[in-house]
Amino acid sequence: MNPLPGGRHYTQTEKNIMSSPARNWKTIESGPHTYEEALHPVVRKNYGKFKYHEIPKPGVLRHVAESGDTIWTVRAGTPRQDTVDMVRVLCDIADKYADGYLRFTVRNNVEFLTPNQENVEPMIAELESLGFPVGGTGMCVSSVAHTQGWLHCDIPATDASGVVKSMMDYVYKEFKDMQMPNKVRLSTSCCAINCGGQADIAIVVKHTRPPRINHDHLSTICELPKAVARCPVAAIRPTVVNGKRSLMVDEAKCICCGACFGACPAMEINHPEHSKFAVWVGGKNSNARTKPSTMSIVAHNLPNNPPRWPEVTEVIGKILTAYKAGGRPWERVGEWINRIGWKRFFEETGLTFDDNMIDSYRHARTTFNQSAHVRF
Amino acid sequence: MSIEVNGVSYETDENGYLVNLEDWNEDVAVKLAEGEDIRMEEPHWDLIKFLRNYYEEYQIAPAVKVLTKAIASEKGMDKKEASEFLYGMFPKGPALQACKIAGLPKPTGCV
Amino acid sequence: MVGATDASSQEVHHCGGCHAEGSGNGKFLNPTPMLDELESGPWPSFISGFKGLAERTKKPMLRGVMDQLEYSYNTKMGYWKGGLVTVDGYGAGIITRYSMIKDKFPEAAEFHTMRIQPAPGLHYNTAMLRELCDIWEKYGSGIITLHGQTGDIMLQGIEQNKVQQCFDELNRKGWDLGGAGAGMRTAVSCIGPGRCENACYDNLKLHLKTLKHFVGVLHRPEWNYKLKFKFSGCPNDCTNAIMRSDLAVIGTWRDAIQVDREEVNAWVEKKGMDALVNQVINLCPTKAISLKDGEMHIETRDCVRCMHCLNVMPKALSPGKERGISLLMGGKNTLKVGVNMGSLVIPFMKMEDDEDIEAFIEQIEEIIDWWEDAGLDHERIGETIERVGLKQFLDGVGLEADINMVSRPRDNPYFKAAY
Repeated sequence: MNPLPGGRHYTQTEKNIMSSPARNWKTIESGPHTYEEALHPVVRKNYGKFKYHEIPKPGVLRHVAESGDTIWTVRAGTPRQDTVDMVRVLCDIADKYADGYLRFTVRNNVEFLTPNQENVEPMIAELESLGFPVGGTGMCVSSVAHTQGWLHCDIPATDASGVVKSMMDYVYKEFKDMQMPNKVRLSTSCCAINCGGQADIAIVVKHTRPPRINHDHLSTICELPKAVARCPVAAIRPTVVNGKRSLMVDEAKCICCGACFGACPAMEINHPEHSKFAVWVGGKNSNARTKPSTMSIVAHNLPNNPPRWPEVTEVIGKILTAYKAGGRPWERVGEWINRIGWKRFFEETGLTFDDNMIDSYRHARTTFNQSAHVRF
Repeated sequence: MSIEVNGVSYETDENGYLVNLEDWNEDVAVKLAEGEDIRMEEPHWDLIKFLRNYYEEYQIAPAVKVLTKAIASEKGMDKKEASEFLYGMFPKGPALQACKIAGLPKPTGCV
Repeated sequence: MVGATDASSQEVHHCGGCHAEGSGNGKFLNPTPMLDELESGPWPSFISGFKGLAERTKKPMLRGVMDQLEYSYNTKMGYWKGGLVTVDGYGAGIITRYSMIKDKFPEAAEFHTMRIQPAPGLHYNTAMLRELCDIWEKYGSGIITLHGQTGDIMLQGIEQNKVQQCFDELNRKGWDLGGAGAGMRTAVSCIGPGRCENACYDNLKLHLKTLKHFVGVLHRPEWNYKLKFKFSGCPNDCTNAIMRSDLAVIGTWRDAIQVDREEVNAWVEKKGMDALVNQVINLCPTKAISLKDGEMHIETRDCVRCMHCLNVMPKALSPGKERGISLLMGGKNTLKVGVNMGSLVIPFMKMEDDEDIEAFIEQIEEIIDWWEDAGLDHERIGETIERVGLKQFLDGVGLEADINMVSRPRDNPYFKAAY
């Protein structure tokens, strides 16, 4: 071992610690898995030299390389919440039709790439017969970005995969077709942190009451200063309850965001009746035409109603119907709303604008209409 | 779950952390360390003392970078060496093992 | 093929590999009437998948988890709590889950998840994917998520006494744990040069090299908070980098869009002049496209590289020749301060060879060093920049101010310049 800065040498104890069997890591810290062996040979041959693509029909892409080589892609929806059995079935399809190669998209679809056009139709037929809807391309309603919910998360107010299944059953036809004005990205999240992300239409849990505090256990399971610091509106203060150190919430200040719950499990914010759903529209991640945008709240106080959440899917249906009818080609939901105006959006979807939808948080003023532009 | 030290039983959670932090003493620490296949030597005790003093003063466990800085400055190491030394002492990580053995609350969640 | 679809139960949806005959006597699983409602309908059902897996493997953990999930659906509450399970030498990467009601559902007592880093671009060959499934089934529940929001493969459901062995076997086959906690996280790339004609740089390669460089702090987190990279090949930003990552690497080009005149004419021939005007020219955000004697003309100086016209006319238009990346910083989701979009911090960097990659990584190291000093605990880098000021950030990391970093100069005079 080299001497340390300043010329000091390691003590024997330090040397023992740094070379003890406990530290004999066999682990190879490889990071991401390598990708070259996972690329189809035709893709590898034309890597970085693709020329253009077409979408001949829903769920099918045709990419042409500068060399003239063609690669076909068949895309299908998956539940994202898979099993090894399901993945093995997908591998069987990949072996049969795609030379043993497959990949997944950022929105949880599976893709099979093949240079053989004659494999496309049989692959579609087999995927459909196994229950995987072929689609998710072009101007469709693509699958839902979501996370874990009651299956696994430690702070969820609702489920995720169940909500996704309910939503995608509802919009199934639009996943398999390309009849929307532009692509529609959906997301769902089981708490206000919104791990599903910004989307054209998002349904996100909204808590409506401050947390209920477990004073008996708080000081043994939580680091109090962390919970205090976590509150964005400084509504949490230390206190003593029944002789034990604990925390209290200034309920008038509390905005029911649930940030403290993530830091301190003794500050329970989830409630079977008071954790509800809100619907958001207009999020856009791409730079095409308009800059990326965050989404706006257009409905709230919707019940958390497993196993099918009909009240929430109904609202999504209203929005999609109005958008499909009124959107011009290439307009995303947010762009459609910017053109027709929010007043018409609320009218055409039958949703109600209320004063809670006026921003009251950090950049509120930037959302006020600082102009005489008005729609009647 | 529980551990037994000098004939006294102390409650632990499923992760092996003390349920009642007031139960901690040095013998308990040794027992907790045994459960992690760690033999407590002087550098281990130095770190445990540092953690407990920090928690007493600030009511939170120090962030890992605070720990590595403290080790680095005390032992004249750079950041990387200090991190290696820390993981040498506690192979499963300072949060999981050092905090457990020091009788601090379990660090929280993924967000 | 694993399993066979049951043609007799038409109502219930089938996901390949399951026997969806309904729950009842003689079955491994307990009745789950609420969850069963999620078996009907055309979209593939994760419940059918779970049930098929459970009936085939008879793993008690699957039964316990289904029971607890059914219970959650009835009570409308969740029952998992966190903890700390890791592998030797790593301080993070396993998402620990203990059931809070294990007296009720002892089979669900432990349900930890292993985050595994996939290959950039989420590419697989069947050999590696089957291997992953076989190892996972050996040690864990067999439930797998492809993929998590941050970009991990999630192997959901393993007991802590099996974690080290499972990881060692996966690691031997080239898989490594993903990120968690206050350190570098797993990254995401779009398909990039692996099929997309718009890829302006090799994002798969940059992703691999960058994450390998930071692998130490991914496995032994020690920063103020998490840090996420996302690598999109073009400004379409299919990985949602600008909104969802602290460090959004977006492919771009500096010179003119390449125009294939013949293909433009073919497009107009097919779709009509109305479409050219209404769908292409009118939708350009900076009115950079016009008609000159009936021919489409792009004024490069006015182009902001939004990708719209390339999206509409993929055969006729392609990105320019002088390609590279833009770096945006500070995206994060809603927790605490609300959602932040990343903002442009490096307008252009060449990204063609290994030297370019090294220069990029060096710049990122400088940025992270600055954040480690200037940032507070649990503060994302975007929040730090907002708190101390973009000017202070630029000074701290040695970047020149560039007009592209702002949408407009300030409208108030409240600053003190150093003169």
